[in-house]
Amino acid sequence: MRYVIAGYAIVLTLLFLYAVQLVWRQRRLTRAAERLVASPARSDPMTEGR
Amino acid sequence: MSPNQQVRSPLVRSARVRWTVRAIGIVAVLSTAGTVWLGLWVTPPDQVQGDLVRLVYIHPGVAWVALYLAFGLAAASSLLYLWPRTRSLTWDRLAAAAVEVGVVFNVCTLISGSIWGKPTWGVWWAWDARLTSTAVLLVLFLGYMALRRVPAEPEVRARRSAFLALFAAVDIPIVHFSVLWWKTLHQGATVLNPDLSPTIHGSMAWTLLLGFVALTLVFVWMLLVRYRIGVLEDWLGRGELDVALRDRQAEGGAPDQAGDGRDAAVAGAPVPEGAR
Repeated sequence: MRYVIAGYAIVLTLLFLYAVQLVWRQRRLTRAAERLVASPARSDPMTEGR
Repeated sequence: MSPNQQVRSPLVRSARVRWTVRAIGIVAVLSTAGTVWLGLWVTPPDQVQGDLVRLVYIHPGVAWVALYLAFGLAAASSLLYLWPRTRSLTWDRLAAAAVEVGVVFNVCTLISGSIWGKPTWGVWWAWDARLTSTAVLLVLFLGYMALRRVPAEPEVRARRSAFLALFAAVDIPIVHFSVLWWKTLHQGATVLNPDLSPTIHGSMAWTLLLGFVALTLVFVWMLLVRYRIGVLEDWLGRGELDVALRDRQAEGGAPDQAGDGRDAAVAGAPVPEGAR
């Protein structure tokens, strides 16, 4: 049974850590985007031509 | 996308999209918890494998997500990017997101399989056709992620990444059919076998099915979040370039007209050798 517990623990921990990292990256980038939008150098924050 | 087309800020996101992503995440967590509960406490031990059969409720699920959903989606998105009529960086972002999530699931596949293999086969690893082709797939898509980190214009990066994804995807059918084409230690398909008649029944079958659904939902949630990260990264990259150029112009320096690369350095772009 210890192999089974180890298998579940490792797989679920890996997925959980990756999920946490995704949420953290998304929040960090959203904050950076909000700062950029608030930047006075950016004249038209909501739209942009490519 | 035409040069004059307006790109909406990624900060603007409807409440419906936010709640949909949250709902998928919540259902994914609940169904994963249900799989763990059924797999560890409710289902009976197998007549041959004993308690080790409990690993089967997650191992094929993570393999299904990695091989078929994630890498299959990456290949399909890459093909759509390369097809001139459907070419869009959206497909490139989707492929990149699918590969990153797929690599995590591929690692989970190899680890859970190895943990099952040690008490069953007596070894952590065997150079078996299924195991080896799965490991090769992981290496190929790690190469894909490395290639994306090489500095290049978005279109150039997207094109070469798409070609590599299609090349790597050739290994997907090899992984799937390896248990039929070669004599392998790995058992044959339990559900997706050539006769399409599952060789698992009762509570074991339902738990396996719930595991597939749960891990698919986990994948969908991760894919949506990772895709949004890609959108934000691209948008920020363009936004920071825009701010840097405006700062430079405000300081009195004209944008690089002579092509000597000096202004490119301001924006963080590579400077040609001769201009240094």
